Amino acid sequence: MKKLYIVVVALIAASFVLSACGTAAPPAADELKIGVVTDVGQLEDKSFNQASYEGGKAAAEKLGATFDVIVTQNISDYKQNIQTFVDQGFDVIITVGFLIGTDTAIAAKENPDVKFIGVDQNICVDEQGAPDATFTCAGDAATLLPNYQGILFAEEQAGYLAGIVAGSISKTGTIGSVAGTSLPAVVAYIAGYEAGAKSVNPDIKTLTQEVNPDPAKGFNDPATGKAIAQQFIAQGADVLFQVAGLTGQGVLEAACDAGIYGIGVDVDQVQTLPNLSKCIVTSAEKKLKDTIQAVAESAATDEFKAGEVFYNAASEPPAIGLSPYHDLESVITPEIQAKLDDAFAKMKSGELKPPRK
Amino acid sequence: MKARLRSYAGLMLVPALSILLALLVASVLIIASGLVGTEKKVNLLLPLIAYRSLIVGAFGNFKGIANMVVAAAPLMLTGLAVGVGLKAGLFNIGATGQVLSGGLAAALIGMQVADAPVLIAIPVAMLGGMLAGALAGFIPGFLKAFTGAHEVVTTIMLNALIQLIVSGLVNDVFRAPGFSFARTAPVGSAELTGLGNTTLHLGVIFALVCIPLSYWLLWRTTVGFEIRAVGANPTAAFYAGMKPRRMMILTMSLCGAFAGLAGAIEVLRLGYYPAVFGTGIGFDGITVALLGQSNPIGIMLSALLLGAMRAGAPLMQIQARVPVEIIDVIQGIILIFLAAEIVVRKIFRLRTAGVGAGELQTITRTYGEKVVG
Repeated sequence: MKKLYIVVVALIAASFVLSACGTAAPPAADELKIGVVTDVGQLEDKSFNQASYEGGKAAAEKLGATFDVIVTQNISDYKQNIQTFVDQGFDVIITVGFLIGTDTAIAAKENPDVKFIGVDQNICVDEQGAPDATFTCAGDAATLLPNYQGILFAEEQAGYLAGIVAGSISKTGTIGSVAGTSLPAVVAYIAGYEAGAKSVNPDIKTLTQEVNPDPAKGFNDPATGKAIAQQFIAQGADVLFQVAGLTGQGVLEAACDAGIYGIGVDVDQVQTLPNLSKCIVTSAEKKLKDTIQAVAESAATDEFKAGEVFYNAASEPPAIGLSPYHDLESVITPEIQAKLDDAFAKMKSGELKPPRK
Repeated sequence: MKARLRSYAGLMLVPALSILLALLVASVLIIASGLVGTEKKVNLLLPLIAYRSLIVGAFGNFKGIANMVVAAAPLMLTGLAVGVGLKAGLFNIGATGQVLSGGLAAALIGMQVADAPVLIAIPVAMLGGMLAGALAGFIPGFLKAFTGAHEVVTTIMLNALIQLIVSGLVNDVFRAPGFSFARTAPVGSAELTGLGNTTLHLGVIFALVCIPLSYWLLWRTTVGFEIRAVGANPTAAFYAGMKPRRMMILTMSLCGAFAGLAGAIEVLRLGYYPAVFGTGIGFDGITVALLGQSNPIGIMLSALLLGAMRAGAPLMQIQARVPVEIIDVIQGIILIFLAAEIVVRKIFRLRTAGVGAGELQTITRTYGEKVVG
């Protein structure tokens, strides 16, 4: 028994000695450092967190920068996580999600030498550049916080293209969409989707449902997603568009089970859900990774744009679009493709503006 | 004095060994995480780098210490919410629901006193949180005392119920206009803002005061004696002239008040109640209470330990590149070893002592007992 204690004590002592010499030498002070603070949830969410991570990482590799990520566990930890990167001397900090926007704006004001990139963030500040709780947004974010860019996407444009596909391939004349939580971006996707479907079939019937007003549940509940999808299928829907994160996996599974078509969201979901490739006809994509990478790279130059920047069909590289059709290429006839190309060109030129609400 | 010290050492032995074992088990997982991480190689030193960065992150500078204390404060309160209950023989799993109701009440009252002076607004909002939490604790206490419904069942059900009610209220009734997501209006001067350049806030004082207060209550007052007597043996307490039913209701309400205060602190720190207010502090309270052996001082130390891990986590992710989920894993393993006390005692060949067994009895006792009196 005594032996055991000695071993344990020796182990602890050894651990402290080893840990002292086990740390790597700190990187050179002038090296560029890029950090990502994720939204609450997991890194591998096949959506914003993951795309921000991959985009930031790709930019860091191209620029030869150090790259790190802090995953947020609780919304009250945003400040602490951003501050950790600031204290560690990071030059570019990418924060993910609209909830972290307030803390990002505060940090941007306190640290003018650090560049902040807010993914999916509106910037609303008062005349002093502080976050504005009254939403008057009297201050001009671009001049007051020249080190902070809020990346926003024209989701309605991607949704519109998905809607053209759905309206064209539906045989029953009924299509459905599942919203995780009715956040502005989700609403925009679905508004665009329904407008797109109506543009090819004015009589089409559209079904839509919000899973849960609490995003923590709305986007993380595949079982409920599946149940809602099955209800829609029972009501005759034969194309389902999911805008519901992990919940959407359940929607797409239900579509596969019933032998109808599903449309993915945000990223090419055939890549993320390869087992469902036989029914995912396409995905309404925000080119998150490419856009975030481009913005992160711009942060190392003088071309960094401050304030809210909307990325859309006209952006370079294009920030929205449809994913490849993979196994279901034959479903998209040349006529459908022509309509899609036409709509994309009109959105690019600004002639066509799908509704955001 | 010496005997007393020895009994404290006895109390601390199993928790300390559980922490040690948990860190050892987690080391294996950390090494494994290196295989799938960015480096994709076996690094036997990775656990040490991770633990070291946790320590540096929490204790390296004043900001880190502030983050630790701020993370620990609500855990102390939820720890008390579970621990004081265990002293009375009640297993309060309802801290989660009590936290949510306390948080919402604090946000709603905070809105009303948003323009009042800070020193009035903050205590008023906190008091509101405590009362709402106490109400959420009163219900299962009352049900236990007068119908025999086991508090484990009722509190778990109340957790789900309160969660839905609160979420519904924030999404519809109290939703503030203008925001892109569901949340209540700002609490104005009731907000617990960070002092200076740190996250340290006034609410921490409220939590720290509750530690000696509950110690004094449990061991220096008649009520505290009755709580402990009812916990030890309700039938004997009844025949000694005490009122076990009243004590149960009182204790559960008190537990709820602690948890409600924890919720109030968390919400007032944000400055509003968001519909997404998911928090683990209610369930973490169970770990804190068991690790602290239901002793207020032990609860404070355990909460600081868990708080240190939360405060050190960001730096750990940068320096060791270990996923943050490992913190939850360590907490979970600590809890497993605490619950399976006998395993710890077998590994270290300790005698099965009487100390600390009371809590486990409460947790493992089957329900259906009838309350006399």
